[in-house]
Amino acid sequence: MRTDDLIDRLSAGLEPVRSGAVARLLAGAVLLGMAGSALVMLAMIGPRHDLAGAMTHPGMWTKLAYTFAMAAFGLWLVERAGRPGADMTRPALLLALPLLAIALLAGLQMSAPGADMTGLVMGRSSRVCAALVTLTALPTLAATFWALRKLAPTRLTLAGAGAGLFAGAAGAFVYCFHCTEEAAPFIAIWYTLGIGAVAAIGALLGRSLLRW
Amino acid sequence: MIAQEAQYRDWMLAALAGDAGAYRMLLAGLTRHLRSYYARRLDSGAAEDAVQETLIAIHARRATYDPALPFTAWVYGIARYKLIDEYRRHKRRATVPLDEAGALFGHDEAEEAIARRDVSKLLAKLPPAKRQLVSDIKLDGVSVADAAKRTGLSESAVKVTVHRAIKSLGEDVNRDSQKRQGGDADR
Repeated sequence: MRTDDLIDRLSAGLEPVRSGAVARLLAGAVLLGMAGSALVMLAMIGPRHDLAGAMTHPGMWTKLAYTFAMAAFGLWLVERAGRPGADMTRPALLLALPLLAIALLAGLQMSAPGADMTGLVMGRSSRVCAALVTLTALPTLAATFWALRKLAPTRLTLAGAGAGLFAGAAGAFVYCFHCTEEAAPFIAIWYTLGIGAVAAIGALLGRSLLRW
Repeated sequence: MIAQEAQYRDWMLAALAGDAGAYRMLLAGLTRHLRSYYARRLDSGAAEDAVQETLIAIHARRATYDPALPFTAWVYGIARYKLIDEYRRHKRRATVPLDEAGALFGHDEAEEAIARRDVSKLLAKLPPAKRQLVSDIKLDGVSVADAAKRTGLSESAVKVTVHRAIKSLGEDVNRDSQKRQGGDADR
């Protein structure tokens, strides 16, 4: 086809784009993905039995706040990654805030007099925590990739890592409702390891799965 | 800031609202930049294919343009991605600079054509023998020694002839632009 004919065809069939189209697409992916992650968590391991009581513990709110903030900045990173020419540095830098906060809190708890170091760091589920976070995150990772493929990522490894980071944090947020650990050092290490694992998976898959 | 930014952004915003006329002007304008961008980086058949693929990508992904960001950077992001895609398909490894929308919008097929036309118009003012020398040496990159052999002149004579010809053309250009400014003042 001649290029002039192509231009004629493209402009003849032009439809207006509703504003906020990208935001709606991402919102759909987040809802779908997190519903999938919740189902996986409920079917695989179930919520903690004392959930209602746990909602009054500051430890519960600490891990919810940490994973929520990571997911929020991660989602912003995904939105930037899906737009050609957009700068990703700001959301990437903001991710340092929740990381610093949880590290600081972990340091405070560990330096308290008479702190049980091993208990704070290893808890009772350190061997399975990161793996379960990763499994819980997989439906959200799939939904985020699906949405990114409809956008226009131009740096595929970076976009994949951003998608993995968001999905890992969203999966960890869901996993909070199963996990009975409440010590900040445990969360800072094992939750973050799980989130990082999903980010690594996303980075590896991005190059091939995000091409358009 | 790239010179075409404001105009193209206006057309893009109109196109997103459904204005087909503005969209056609936008695509036609971008095509000129894309042609010259790919022509300098791919062979000719692949270059026109890349132009068309990029136009289709711009169309299909137009919702990803964020009006708060420069439009030229958005287009360059897509053009660069399609170039890398093309290199990858032919297993060619290449690094493509990341933040240089100027690489796409600095050159323009039409501007290059105008420049070429101006140069040939100017050269036409020279007598044929001098014109040949200037165009051989200054435009085609023939060495002074070769030009001397071809014309039978000494190398220093060739150098002097070319130097004087260029100088006289420079004076012509200055006189023309002064005349034009004088004309503007009369109006």
